[in-house]
Amino acid sequence: MSGASAADVRSILSLPPAGSPSTQSQQPLKKSASTGKPNGISRELFALIGPSMASLPESSKPRLKQKPNLSGTQKVRWERRSFKNPARKDSLELNHWVKATDDPNEEYFWAKYNAQSNIYTYSQDEYTRLLEDSEWSKEETDYLFDVVREYDLRWFIIHDRYNFPGGPERSMEDLKDRYFSVCRKLVRSRPWPGDETSRTNLLSSFQFDKERETTRKKYLASLASRTPAQIAEEEALFIEIKRLEQTERRFKRDRDELLRTLAGIESGLDGLPIDDEGPMGSGDTKQKKRRHGSEWESASAGPSNIISLGTPVPKKGQQSAKASVPSPEEDILHCIHRNSAPAPSNLPVTKNAHTPVYLRSFKIPVPKPAGLAPKITAALAELGINHTRLVMPTKDNCEKLESLLDAAAALVDLKRAVDRVDQEIRTARMRLESKSSSASVAGDAAETPMDVDQDETGTERDADGEKEEDSVRAQSVVSVRSGRARKASSRRSMSISSVDTAAPVATRATKRLKK
Amino acid sequence: MVQYGGDEVAALVVDMGASSLRAGYAGDDTPKAIIPTSYGYITEPASGGDVTMGEAGEDGQPARPAAKMYIGQNGPSMWRANMEVANPIQNGMIHDFAPIPPLISHALRDVMRCNPTEHPVLVTEPAWNTPANRERMAEIMFEEFQVPAFYIANTGVLNAFAAGKGSALVVDIGQSMASVTPVVDGFVLRKGLQYSALPQLVHAHAKHLLTNPTQHRPAIQLLPHQLIASKMPVEPAQPPKFTLREDRMAKTTDSWRIWAESREVDEWIQSVAGVLDQGWNEQAVMQRPPRQYEFPTGFNTYFGPERFSVGELYFNHSMIADRNDNLPRPLPSLITACLGNCDPDLRQNLLGNLVVTGGGSLFGGLVDRLGNELGRHFQVKIHAPGNPIERRYGGWLGGSILASLGTFHQLWISKEEWQDHGKAIVGQRCK
Repeated sequence: MSGASAADVRSILSLPPAGSPSTQSQQPLKKSASTGKPNGISRELFALIGPSMASLPESSKPRLKQKPNLSGTQKVRWERRSFKNPARKDSLELNHWVKATDDPNEEYFWAKYNAQSNIYTYSQDEYTRLLEDSEWSKEETDYLFDVVREYDLRWFIIHDRYNFPGGPERSMEDLKDRYFSVCRKLVRSRPWPGDETSRTNLLSSFQFDKERETTRKKYLASLASRTPAQIAEEEALFIEIKRLEQTERRFKRDRDELLRTLAGIESGLDGLPIDDEGPMGSGDTKQKKRRHGSEWESASAGPSNIISLGTPVPKKGQQSAKASVPSPEEDILHCIHRNSAPAPSNLPVTKNAHTPVYLRSFKIPVPKPAGLAPKITAALAELGINHTRLVMPTKDNCEKLESLLDAAAALVDLKRAVDRVDQEIRTARMRLESKSSSASVAGDAAETPMDVDQDETGTERDADGEKEEDSVRAQSVVSVRSGRARKASSRRSMSISSVDTAAPVATRATKRLKK
Repeated sequence: MVQYGGDEVAALVVDMGASSLRAGYAGDDTPKAIIPTSYGYITEPASGGDVTMGEAGEDGQPARPAAKMYIGQNGPSMWRANMEVANPIQNGMIHDFAPIPPLISHALRDVMRCNPTEHPVLVTEPAWNTPANRERMAEIMFEEFQVPAFYIANTGVLNAFAAGKGSALVVDIGQSMASVTPVVDGFVLRKGLQYSALPQLVHAHAKHLLTNPTQHRPAIQLLPHQLIASKMPVEPAQPPKFTLREDRMAKTTDSWRIWAESREVDEWIQSVAGVLDQGWNEQAVMQRPPRQYEFPTGFNTYFGPERFSVGELYFNHSMIADRNDNLPRPLPSLITACLGNCDPDLRQNLLGNLVVTGGGSLFGGLVDRLGNELGRHFQVKIHAPGNPIERRYGGWLGGSILASLGTFHQLWISKEEWQDHGKAIVGQRCK
């Protein structure tokens, strides 16, 4: 075998000689083999029927589904082009790959991002006229504006890089203050093309309060330079405050509940169901009730652990022993006032009948008939008394105020009655006059106010005429005349009241008149 | 194109650090060429070899005898008779420009196989670089590499960009320097910049720990594998059994020896050392599992508390000295000093964007510890890439992003501008 050369192997395998490229020679071979068989029929069938088969119609050739175009787009040609960047001042040309379809003369895409910030400039004249500053030389101001322009108003960097030779150390606030004040002055002094609001807007954007910024920075620095102990203390205090707030809220809630319970028991309402939807409106009512019960038991066993109330309320156990002897001396000694026992209970015992503990200042007496309240207040104000503000709402003071209010109310009431009677007298006198004059001059009735209504509906006139006869009910006539639309029922009630009060006065007045 | 703002002009990005030089095309996510910055050279007093340092005598630098340089992966790490090793970077800055052109040339021409005259080049610099240094770099790129356009960008800013932030407080822990750089709107606040040679202290401490005997183990010989002919497996903490390559010992230079030893220390640090995330605590240290490490001599042992005492130096020095102002300052004091020099208004913004980067920050537990230390005083949000490549080459990555932005292309210093304006253009353009 070893003796066989490569050429022998090739001739055995009927391969072409080594020199010729195999691929080229094989392709036409394949083609010639395939030309004999038409495309439509399988190899096995072709072998059976041979090349002498009847020609089949080409249309029956099975067609495969077209391959989907997975890339989605057509082939894109890219080419490497050199480009010039218009943001550059020199002629540097760099190369990048772009789509061959792109316009070669198009401006460089990224050049438009080379935004220049708008920094003010000033002339020598403007500087001497407006911008002189004892702390800043013209050279340093120029330098500041150069740096600001170079770093595009990034103040942190401006402050970092600011190094004017021979100049004093400038803080960032100094730099900002100088720059913004110069800008403000320039905007103010120059003619402004736009409207006034845009100018004020621009001015306000140049506003800078150096003092405030400095104190703010100082405060920030002091905040940052706190020692860990200080921070811990601050945090502990904050937590403590939160805790206190929480306990206060809980205490208030417990106190409310306790007050309800205890005061309820004292007033004989111990069977009263506790208002479960209390101010907190919490969900676990059952648990609360249970806890409440146990608290109560422990309280009755040892009174020390119950919260102390403003007025010590006798406990259930002690009450049985003590209730018979309330010892008035002790009460006076401790300034305790006991409310009179609740009204004998023919009323059903409900929550509404029970008044819980309250501060006296919350229940300062108010003027009683609500209708008279403004007049009573006015009367008191005439005396220089403000009833809404009681400096020391002791029990005595409250009682005195109440009696004063009652007296004032009575006074106002009396004044009203007097006014009413006066009015009646006047009308009666007028009627008297009209009667005497009608006797002398007929048809003079037009002068009386009553007869203004003469051309109105008949019924009304009838009613008026009817009332005219009765001088005692003159009051009701007046009322009708003033408010004609009133209903009959109200008219009647008015007349009744007038009968009680006004009648004797009126008769007295008429008597006086007759004299 | 419009969505991400990129327009690639096939720019090259060269980021040179103390340990490695990274170079690659802008727009890539990893550098194509990563070669060690250290290089080997053999001085041949009589006649130069095929790569000579002809430019060494220029610019008033002391004339050096012609030397054959060995650069790249097979440079310093291969033992050669009488080969010295040097590093052009000192304290993060290039202090010797002579080997810079060969290093960059090796990265661009030999590794990347590209022609620098066809591509704009972006080079990085530390935030404390001097104007003279950056101008020299521009000169090298324009005059020796004939680049069409050049830009020099700050690593602090680039690290912030790599983290996707325009404003950030960048904590960069490299091989030789640790720095804290406040970056606002893509500008470094120079007044707030803080840096110290902290990693060097950590390295020195680790070397001191290893080369001194303890009660559990003898002193460790930091011999590189290039000098060891054969070794036998030994039990942990037992003296190693190995034979030296005596033929090489005589022709090994001191500088190569130091370089090789420091590499052993670095490898030990990288594989074993860590930081306790809750501060130094004897009990916590004892609870941590010890780690086994084998040196090229065959000596192997378990390292317990030692491995944490190394990392602890990043946070306080109380372990090695009570009070010494000459030591480089630890990270928390660097950060506090930096914040103290910045405007109080910025503090919130900077601390909310704390970027931890650099190969040194890959220390186990360092980011957690930093978060815990700072969290006691401030509200911090730390951004530290989980991917070690991104962490180590953050500066390069930021440069790759910057140089592929469409809006950046107006900032390149073109060759024309360089010829018209001279060196001053570098300071004007690269703020």
